[in-house]
Amino acid sequence: MAKKHLVIIGHGMAGSRLLDELQSRHAGTRYRITVYGEEPGAAYNRILLSKVLGGADPDTIRMKAETWHPGDDVTLVPRTRVDRIDSANRLLHLSDGSTEPYDIAIIATGSRPFIPKIEGSVLADSSPKPGVFAYRTLDDCLQMRSKLRPGDSAVVLGGGLLGLEAAKALADNGLHVTVCHLMPTLMETQLDETGGKMLQRQIEQQGIFVRCGRTIAAILGCNQVRGVRLDDGTELAADMVVLACGIRPRVDLAQASGIPVNRGVIVNDALATAVPGVYALGECAEHRGRVYGIVTPIWEQCEALADILCATGSARRYTGSKLYSRLKVAGVDVASMGVVKPELASDQTIQIFEEQRATYRKLILREGKLIGAQLVGDTAAAGQLVQLFDRNTTIPLNPLEALCAYSAAGGSTGAALDRQVCNCNTVNESAIVSAIKQGCVSVEAVGVCTRAGTGCGSCRSQIVGLIREHRPAAAATL
Amino acid sequence: MVATTDSSTGTSISIRADDEFPVNRGQMCIKGFNAHELIASPERLLNPLKRVDGQFVEIAWAQALDEIADKIKTIQTAHGRDAMSAFGSGALTNEKAYLLGKFARVALGTANIDYNGRYCMSSAAAGQNRAFGVDRGMPFPVEDIASTGCAMLWGSNLTDTLPPIMQYFDTLRARSGRVIVVDPRRTETARQADLHLQLTPGTDLLLANGLLHVAIDEQLIDLSYIESRTNDFAAIAAIALRSHPAYVERLTGVSLDQMRQAVRWLAETPSMILSGRGPEQQSKGADSVSALINLMLALGKVGKPFSGYGTLTGQGNGQGGREHGQKADQLVGYRLIENPVHRQQIAEFWGIDEADLPRKGKSAVELVDACGDDVRGMLVMGSNIAVATPGANNVKERLASLDLLVVCDSFMNDTAELAHYVLPTQQWAEEDGTVTNLEGRVIRRRRVIDPPASTRGDVEILCQLAVRLGMAEKFAFTTAESVFDEFRRATAGAPADYNGISYDKIDQHDGIFWPCPAADHPGTPRLFATEFAHPDARARFLAIDHRPAAEEPDDEYPIFFTTGRYREHYNSGAQTRKVDILVRSKPEPKAQLHPLLADQIGITDGERVVVESRRGRIVLVAHVTPEIRPDTIFAPFHWGGRQSANILTNPALDPTSRMPEFKICAVRVRQVDAT
Repeated sequence: MAKKHLVIIGHGMAGSRLLDELQSRHAGTRYRITVYGEEPGAAYNRILLSKVLGGADPDTIRMKAETWHPGDDVTLVPRTRVDRIDSANRLLHLSDGSTEPYDIAIIATGSRPFIPKIEGSVLADSSPKPGVFAYRTLDDCLQMRSKLRPGDSAVVLGGGLLGLEAAKALADNGLHVTVCHLMPTLMETQLDETGGKMLQRQIEQQGIFVRCGRTIAAILGCNQVRGVRLDDGTELAADMVVLACGIRPRVDLAQASGIPVNRGVIVNDALATAVPGVYALGECAEHRGRVYGIVTPIWEQCEALADILCATGSARRYTGSKLYSRLKVAGVDVASMGVVKPELASDQTIQIFEEQRATYRKLILREGKLIGAQLVGDTAAAGQLVQLFDRNTTIPLNPLEALCAYSAAGGSTGAALDRQVCNCNTVNESAIVSAIKQGCVSVEAVGVCTRAGTGCGSCRSQIVGLIREHRPAAAATL
Repeated sequence: MVATTDSSTGTSISIRADDEFPVNRGQMCIKGFNAHELIASPERLLNPLKRVDGQFVEIAWAQALDEIADKIKTIQTAHGRDAMSAFGSGALTNEKAYLLGKFARVALGTANIDYNGRYCMSSAAAGQNRAFGVDRGMPFPVEDIASTGCAMLWGSNLTDTLPPIMQYFDTLRARSGRVIVVDPRRTETARQADLHLQLTPGTDLLLANGLLHVAIDEQLIDLSYIESRTNDFAAIAAIALRSHPAYVERLTGVSLDQMRQAVRWLAETPSMILSGRGPEQQSKGADSVSALINLMLALGKVGKPFSGYGTLTGQGNGQGGREHGQKADQLVGYRLIENPVHRQQIAEFWGIDEADLPRKGKSAVELVDACGDDVRGMLVMGSNIAVATPGANNVKERLASLDLLVVCDSFMNDTAELAHYVLPTQQWAEEDGTVTNLEGRVIRRRRVIDPPASTRGDVEILCQLAVRLGMAEKFAFTTAESVFDEFRRATAGAPADYNGISYDKIDQHDGIFWPCPAADHPGTPRLFATEFAHPDARARFLAIDHRPAAEEPDDEYPIFFTTGRYREHYNSGAQTRKVDILVRSKPEPKAQLHPLLADQIGITDGERVVVESRRGRIVLVAHVTPEIRPDTIFAPFHWGGRQSANILTNPALDPTSRMPEFKICAVRVRQVDAT
């Protein structure tokens, strides 16, 4: 049987990952695969863009090594856009005017940055005013990087994740940076007001200025950015304006092809569009009313679709993702999962706010399960919490235990922790500790007193540890 | 250890640790300390046994060996040479391991020989071979632990499994060095550590890739080392960069904060990762080891003083046991049976036609699985496979379906009970030989007491069977030393080169580290300082990515199950469960589970619970303790029968090492009474 022709439209993080997932399922035995990408070069990891802004070699954030070769069953076509899918005739219309037959098409066109209409952001000929940058692609970063000069001033519009990362990278390059954010607090999709304000204080301590509840009304300067005017009339001098105002799904291909679109390309649980043979995933897709803009849900979509298409799990369905964001914003660790605020009157909220330590931790529970959490400053419990959240595990009766290590949680039904240390002479920890407290502060002394450690000798290191932990204060100075 | 004969009786011995010996330096584990009990145990087998109408009856040696040889011939005539098989052990001396390999390939002419080290060291061996071109468990002596800056124990509970080694960690800590432990359980070893990463079972590989991500992110990798001493970094770097901390945290349960701390400590001083069976006994075990090695190569540690990667061997001769050809794909000296040059060398050495040298045979789990089908007979030496193999219920059925099962052991065990013949062998203090320890140091084991006259050594048994199979001239060994002398010559020029080692030389130097190619060569305590064993002398990164365990928890079986050791017991417990003090200390296996899980199923400490997987169920007493993850149950694997942890485990195999997945399967748990 002839191999079917599977095309992936878009070679960003979703397209690249989907290709990996297909290949790991030996898709080459049933498909000939073509991947169309608009940008030159190999797909890169958008999450790491701020590294490039900070000076890293662009190749270090590529999804694949330079030497990577996709294999004989795969063709990569860079710098080529797909303009339209003629699904009735199963033909792709490409930007170079040619057509290409296909059997299965997957739209992975991702998103584009949202560029608000701001007075003075373009020149008379509608080209972008020099000094105004979107923060979205590798190319954006490289251009921005080439214009950076220490001592310059930058205004970043948008206090979400991308905006704050850009702000940090710019500040690290020696620029004076102001972040303008329309909402009352930063990162409002991940943090509540308390968390957002704490983050703001921390960021300000790092030397980045933040103006919340403000937006840019106009960009000043004739042929080059000279400053901005905020919506309250304040004018700020600026050599550079960075727009990080979120993303919008790229749906033009789907629209041109008669594929139903809402905010994104509408897909069902099999990631299929309403048009036979056409699927969509990633930031351009809308599933159950949601469009995802972070990476883990997109990987989950790639796995599910690869299972479906390779018959490794034809019955597999994608039913939505739980959201978890993890970032380091200007040196401050932040973790956020699930809902930001309680939604039902019965939802239970636990908040720990430590002003001195500059930490904020918040859990939101519903019927004993974790439905949301935010950690700012102290994210040590993040790994544990996200697993409770992902698995919908009932959390301890005392929810604070969920913030502790497992070994400090749920001691009520456990055995007394009096371990046997010396198996040869059956001596328990409690006996050794009591000897230590009475002044036996060497392994030998403990041995004389309790017989512990006088058999095979293999517990001596444990006894050393117990002495270190329990010896009387006076003995510690000896 | 120093074993001395009790001069009044001459039949029992006493034991003390050797203060001078550079490995354990005066310390010993409780099993060794009490090993003398086994020598004089009343349960010891003294005469060959034959199963007649379901009962064992004692028979004479000559009759036993004649009948076994006849049955071997009958099986091989009817079903082909490969229908007879051998199963060895990492507990056998180098001499026995070599001889069993030679016996299988030359006297039996079968491809089918494997050993229990498959269950132990095969993943670490595969990982090291791929990265370094050679596999020596630790590329440096254990004493180097004391001088490193940070030691990361990955999936190893050394305090219980290798207690005499802990003294080096004590010294390390006294020097303000750091210890990091990676383990789903808060073991004694983890409690003593400066940092404990309590990861989700089966996520070792991903955690290592996540650490590499952090190392790249924080610019802690050693670019000049990567450039000058390694190949293929770019591909693994791309994978590591995809292993974003948010993704790694979700699957491993380890917070980025801890990952960052661990990587910084590893990067800033000399450091080493030492792995135990945790990351290795998985269906991605070899790749997990590669991930650990990738990390240490990227940090530029491998081959630097007091730094690198090593694996902590479990069995007494876990290292030597995998070097001398009792593994399905190997020949003596760590040669490969499918390598034409190696085949030719060994065929010539043994004086046989290369075409008659069997090819690669079935790996342990596959071998056991073929019993009763194309494998009709098996000779077992030093291993209790009925308890040690995953999916233990099925294993017993398989073994019972053999036409001939011969077990050589000093004690009755679960495997011997299924045998047609049980041959009583000699014990550690009754035989000479050598073992190669976890450092690659070849050391002596000496005969200090006369064995009971009616028992025979494994070497003697193999030689006498070979005589009956018409191979007398190739098995004319009278002593262990004569076997040693043949196999050291067989290793000349091989990866594990013992050619320059002799019993005398071992005695003079507290052991000799291989490679030791010539009589005037001092041995090689430390490897990789200037080159790796690949032809271009460079180490290789391997591009490996996370994949799930063969069986992950789901709605039906929602809990992880993992297995391991107690300090008091060894392997299937066949020996240690006969030593009084060990049994008193740990009389039975317990299911370790977290109070949160105990609350859910409504049990308290000391109650009995039913733990079941898709393969069977066991009933154990619950040990309720917060020292384990709430999503995981642990039980030791030292017991057989209805307490056998391996009734539950999953025989899914690593595609490279053929290691079964002992460390992860999915179970459910309930009170005994609940329906």
